[in-house]
Amino acid sequence: MKRSIASKTLVGSLICASVTAGLLTVPAKAAEPVTLTIWTFGEVIQPALQREYMKLHPEIKIVPIKNDVDPLHQKTILSCQTGGPADIIAFETPYSGYWRTGNRPKCFQDLREMKTSSTNAAAGVAAGQSALDIKKNYLPWRWEQGVAFNDSVIGIPTDVGGLQVAYRTDLFKKAGLPTDRAAVSKLWPTWDKFIATGQKYVSKLTPAEKKAGKAFIDDAGSIYAAVMNQGTVKYYEPNNTDAGKLVYKTNPQIKTAWNTTVKAMNSGIGARLGQFTSDWNIGMNKGAMATILAPAWMLDYIKKQAPDTKGKWDIADLPVGGGNQGGTQLGVTGYSKNKQAAYDFLTWYLAPEQQLKVFKTYGLFPSTSVLYDDAALLEYKDEFFSNAPVGQIYTKGVLQLKPIFEGELQRTIDSKFGAGLGRVASKKMTSEKSFALVISDIDKLFKN
Amino acid sequence: MLGLITFLSIFPFYWMFIVSSNTDAEISKSPPSLVPGPRFLEVAQKVLNAEGVYFSQALINTFIVGIAIAIAQVIFSAIAGFAFAKLHFKGRHFSILFVVATMMLPSQLGLVPLFILVNNLKLVNTLYALIVPALVTAFGVFWMRQIIDAQVPNELLEAASIDGASVPRIFWSIVMPSIRQSSFVLGLFAFLAAWNDYLWPTVVLLSPERFTIQVALTQLKPLQGIDYSLQMGGAFLATAPLIILFIFVGKRLVSGVMDGAVKG
Amino acid sequence: MTQFKASQGRKKAPLTPWKSKTKKPLPGVGSLNGRWGYFAIAPFFLIFLVFGVAPVVYSIYIAFFKWAPMEDPEFNGLNNFIVLLQDSDFWLAIRNTFSIWALSTFPQLFIAISLAAILRNKRLKGKSFWRTILLVPNITSIIAITIVFQQLFGREYGLINLLLALIPGVENIDFIEGVIPSHIQIATMITWRWVGYNILIFLASMLAIPDELYESASVDGATKWQQFRYVTLPSLKNTITFVLIVGTIGGLQVFAEPQQLNAEGGSSKQFLTLTLFLFNQAFLNNKYGYAAAVGIAITIIVLIISAVNFWITRKISGEGK
Repeated sequence: MKRSIASKTLVGSLICASVTAGLLTVPAKAAEPVTLTIWTFGEVIQPALQREYMKLHPEIKIVPIKNDVDPLHQKTILSCQTGGPADIIAFETPYSGYWRTGNRPKCFQDLREMKTSSTNAAAGVAAGQSALDIKKNYLPWRWEQGVAFNDSVIGIPTDVGGLQVAYRTDLFKKAGLPTDRAAVSKLWPTWDKFIATGQKYVSKLTPAEKKAGKAFIDDAGSIYAAVMNQGTVKYYEPNNTDAGKLVYKTNPQIKTAWNTTVKAMNSGIGARLGQFTSDWNIGMNKGAMATILAPAWMLDYIKKQAPDTKGKWDIADLPVGGGNQGGTQLGVTGYSKNKQAAYDFLTWYLAPEQQLKVFKTYGLFPSTSVLYDDAALLEYKDEFFSNAPVGQIYTKGVLQLKPIFEGELQRTIDSKFGAGLGRVASKKMTSEKSFALVISDIDKLFKN
Repeated sequence: MLGLITFLSIFPFYWMFIVSSNTDAEISKSPPSLVPGPRFLEVAQKVLNAEGVYFSQALINTFIVGIAIAIAQVIFSAIAGFAFAKLHFKGRHFSILFVVATMMLPSQLGLVPLFILVNNLKLVNTLYALIVPALVTAFGVFWMRQIIDAQVPNELLEAASIDGASVPRIFWSIVMPSIRQSSFVLGLFAFLAAWNDYLWPTVVLLSPERFTIQVALTQLKPLQGIDYSLQMGGAFLATAPLIILFIFVGKRLVSGVMDGAVKG
Repeated sequence: MTQFKASQGRKKAPLTPWKSKTKKPLPGVGSLNGRWGYFAIAPFFLIFLVFGVAPVVYSIYIAFFKWAPMEDPEFNGLNNFIVLLQDSDFWLAIRNTFSIWALSTFPQLFIAISLAAILRNKRLKGKSFWRTILLVPNITSIIAITIVFQQLFGREYGLINLLLALIPGVENIDFIEGVIPSHIQIATMITWRWVGYNILIFLASMLAIPDELYESASVDGATKWQQFRYVTLPSLKNTITFVLIVGTIGGLQVFAEPQQLNAEGGSSKQFLTLTLFLFNQAFLNNKYGYAAAVGIAITIIVLIISAVNFWITRKISGEGK
């Protein structure tokens, strides 16, 4: 008994001693811990890079909060009114028109007033750089999408959507179509030829396949956005004011895009599988579609949802050339308590070196145009897509793009057109009636 | 027939379990698998550890909010309900009618002003924003009034008052014990309403550490697109605690619901 | 415990308190010091007025303004209301809300009464087990259920369409794009959630009907069905009214299910409900003033419906005597 008490006391005091010693030898000076809250969506913030940064800077904790794009926009509006919790917020380019106009830029920190600290100098981001200093690294028109009309820089661009056509080589072969990507690209220099190719493909499907809902493209509605983005004006025309001039009733590009899409829908080439629905996932695995209009960021999605189709895909040029879908700016909130740390993280994350890594692991195509001559980008090939040189393909597409003015309600108006096309696709309304409804819905936005 | 009822009641819950325990490729098959797969624990882990989702924290938050609201509602409603049922004071008619009338108002009517009010009180993004506006409800007071009216005999109260008991004493020693069952039911309903509430928490909670479980569920998105097993795993884990709770208190709730409808 | 009488008496109290007040002397105890009443209701009223009533009053005020977030409100007069009455989306929302209400309330009523009758008649083992099972849907997370039902109702690969495909000649139903099909999907979710709850309420009422009534009926030669029709149903009148009223007020406020299916209520707003319409005006279109006007309109609609319900209640219970 006595011995065990003695040994317990001994053990006890050893423990106490070591704990005390441990506490006393806390590192002499830990950098002040900072938590950066980032409101983002989709894959804008890549976990691998996030971890890398936290390893470089153990005192920084990065917490990305993911939302869907539209709810994120709503929350950003609410949080601006309350001085809410996020340090960094991502906004998609269709919403950039909203944040860059009116008195809304004040929700974001003007990044021209920030300077990088030396904290990332070793990792390649020199100290003392404001937004104006890093501007040259980026595609000019993507950069402009983060500049407000009072010239303050409210966001730095992340990726650029870039749009090309991902197609199934095995299904093309079965339909008697060429499979080599150069030959395929030649099949459709115009959208009309794309539709014609689709009709040819569908005509080769067996009746059973048709009944099962198989078709040429997953969603003919995706053509609308592609065509719109190939123009120079969407719903607002630049006129040297920050609001721009509303042209949704007169812009001929809208009619072109609409009519092309309706033609595609009516020709039966669409499988009517809304992107990112469960039916779409399943359809991908079953070969329900032979083509998908794929921005760079969708490639990884295809890989994850349909792993068994590896090697059966390739990538060809988009009809007409030059396409874009999506793209994001990252900004520092005006009310953030950690502006310096946030800015340092952003400038590191969005630096060319990191953006190349993002592309290679996740397929997000960088807006850092300095990379576009870089062999590392141009020579990168993707096995899943029959070793297509995706870097080169998307660079080509991106360079063909022209900047488009984004007005305040760009995204809202866009979604009305999308809904309108949905009504035509499900045959609920004729094209004319649906278009008229779209216009009257948009009119309502400005009524009161 | 009863088997069918059980099946229909439970099937969606079972479906959640199936989807959460299978791989994505398995889920994307058609026809879908009707048998659970081996991955449940793995998925459950993913849910609990999902970055930026703070799932277990959300469960705790929701419990805190639910219990706070339940207790507060029971107490405040009982006191006010007692007054309306048993005490004579000027204006009682008008006030109870007023309260009942407000039950007709849709809760979304005051959404924006409530946000502004809560913002001015600096309570946005706190759990208080959920608890404080829900401390009392018109329904709770009305329910308590009916219950107390029906279940507490006037004679008992008169006798106590003749014996010299003060009103608060009467309330605490006579009224409260008599309505124990119904109070429990009200508390449980309040808790359930708080647990399932989605609209207001979505508007007023901005940081994920503060989210309640319904909002946290909408956060369960993986890197790209949709991960069904993750979402369903979350859905399953969000409902399971309630079901467990329920198994323990279910009997009481059931008899309480039935009593409330008949007596009240 | 409390005695149940087969006659109307006590059971009517919760449904028409205003009515009983005019017919009977005030409940309550005169000998108690009434002034405690003010203390008792004070905490309730304080919180209620600040957080329940004030926002509503303020809403009524801002309905006369045009107000976008982060901007100053501008006085707008009746413009919001005029635009609202001309807004086809508003009328669509009314149509949808009522359609969903009808599809979820009446079948549910029927199912609940039928199943309660069945549950009542059998001498089951494990009664409380069955009763617990009935409430499981009510405690399942709404968000979770929308996800599950969306999968089940998928147009190409959902389980329901797969089962329908087994019937020759039946085509896949699009439960999102179709007007009535989408209402069916939402109504199914609502019914699934609440039918068990309502079964229990009806069960309770049925159990309160004294056996003697059934005995004398069967002595008179009534069949089971006749007994149901002439004994059970009349006694359920009040409960039916209660369930209808509660279901109506709730049904007019359906929000989470449609919003989860599609934030705008569908590509042609086929399942846009009134509360979703309100929410979208405030948070998607950033029109706080207009949203407030919508809120007032919804309130008026609810009040009208409740008045109609009240009138029907009166007629029914008038007959019941």
